[in-house]
Order: sequence, then structure tokens, then C-alpha cells
Amino acid sequence: MDDKKLTPQESMELITSMIQSSKRRVASPDLRISVMWAVLTIITATTAWILLSTTHNPWFNFVWFAIPVIGIPTNIMLASKHREKSRTKTYLDKVSAGLWKCVGYIAIGLTIGCFIAQQCGYPQAWLAMFFYAFIIVGFGAAVSGLLLRENSYIFGGMFSIYSGFALIVCTLCQIPLLYSWVVPLYILCFLLMFIVPAFIISRKTKLEGK
Amino acid sequence: MKELDPLLHSQLRLAVMSILMNVDEADFVFLKEKTEATAGNLSVQLDKLSSAGYISMEKGFVGKKTRTVCQVTEHGRKAFEEYVDALKEYLNL
Repeated sequence: MDDKKLTPQESMELITSMIQSSKRRVASPDLRISVMWAVLTIITATTAWILLSTTHNPWFNFVWFAIPVIGIPTNIMLASKHREKSRTKTYLDKVSAGLWKCVGYIAIGLTIGCFIAQQCGYPQAWLAMFFYAFIIVGFGAAVSGLLLRENSYIFGGMFSIYSGFALIVCTLCQIPLLYSWVVPLYILCFLLMFIVPAFIISRKTKLEGK
Repeated sequence: MKELDPLLHSQLRLAVMSILMNVDEADFVFLKEKTEATAGNLSVQLDKLSSAGYISMEKGFVGKKTRTVCQVTEHGRKAFEEYVDALKEYLNL
């Protein structure tokens, strides 16, 4: 391709062909990042569940801190690798990244809030992190699904939001939130929100490639 | 009949603008690959688009390699839309 002048017809054809050649999925999320968070959350939840139900020692609740402690540096590392590899960025890529940044900032803010509440003698405030994980993360997954036009994300997100509201209702009705069913529900939500959609998207991408 | 913008009415510059209108942001290597232009020619045409304020170019580093990322500006977006409108008039679309 060079600097030659075009006829209007050629211009139109060129615009169409360039749009076609640079067309791809509406956004190219780095699935490794969302899968990493989901796997880390599932492993941590399972570990906390096993340790707390076998020992009944509340100190094992500190296991939950493995999520930010391992997740944040790994996220930074994976994101920088993704930036090196990705050669284009669409508007939807930017919106999607902004959305998850918001979800992350809410988590940081809530963690600080819960920590302050604990220092003031209200350790049960940490329960808010559970509601966050179900509702805010679920909302993020559902919006991601809308952006990526991927129904499995929307379904997973909605399932998680409903589960979160069910937990709020239980709390308001003073039905005890027992580890025996809350943690498996939490794990199921993360499976449906991230692992299943990532599997479906990568399968679709492979098929599109063929 | 509207006159076609001479800056966009060139094969390579129009190709670059079409790609950037579609993907929002792309690096030099991607543009070179899609347009099949030589690095020298592409660089000259990108400078012309940048001087006209149609695109913005950001030079950075990825590891030890330089990376130029191009993005269409609001002015460029408007010019491209006007160019397509003018084309439609010419072609009676």
C-alpha cells in the first residue's frame, strides 16, 4: 500500500476492507486474569472452609487475605504481560478494564472499612466482604457479559447477585450463614461467573480460528 | 457537492484512519501489518495525520523495544465521518 490517490469507489472499498481486516471480537479480555482471580478465590475459600470446619479456630479466617496478597501482584504481572502482547485496544477493552478497576477499588475500600470496624469491636463487619463478592463482583461479571456479548457471563453474574441478596435476606431474617453452605455457594458462583465463561470463550475463539 | 478531504483521500492514510476508527488504538506494527506498507512510508503518513491533528501518537517502551501507539482524535473522527458522508454523496448512496 502506498500514497496513491483513489477514486470514491476505491476509497469506499478500502474503508470496508480495512474495517473487515481489523475486525475481531468486540473486546479481547485477558481471560488469564479473571481465571487467576477465580482459581485463587476458589482455592482460598476451599482452604478456609476445610481449616475452619475441622479446627473451629477463627484465626484461620486470615486465610482469606491470601486473595489480595497473592492476587494483586499476580494481576499486575499478568496485566503488564498482556499490555506487551496486545497490539490494539478498542473502546470496549477500555470500558471493561475500567469496570474491573472500579470493582477492585471497591474491594480495597471495603477491606479498609471492615478493618476499621473490627478495630472498633465489630469483627462481624467482615461479612460485608462476602456480600461484596456475591453482588459487586457478580454485577461486574454480568456487565462484562453484556460488553463481550457472552451470555454465560451474564448468567453467572446474575446467579451470584441473586445469591448475594439471598444471603442479605438470611442475615435480616437472622437465619445463620453457615460455612457448610455459604462457602460452597460462593465457590459455585465463582465457577459460574469466571471459569465456565472463560472455558466457553476460549472454545469459541478456537472454533473461530479454525 | 462536498470536496473530498485531500489528507484522507490517499490510500495509505485512509487505510490507517479506517483501522483506527475501528479499533480505537493500535500500535505501529499492527498498522504496518494490516496496511502492508513499508515502515518508512507508514511513518511519513502517520506524521502527516498527526500534524493535521487527526491522530495522536504516543511513543513508549515495551521492555527494551520502542512502541508507538496511535489513536484517532476527536478532530480526526469528525474529519473521517465528513469524508465518508462526502463519499456517499459522490457514489449516490
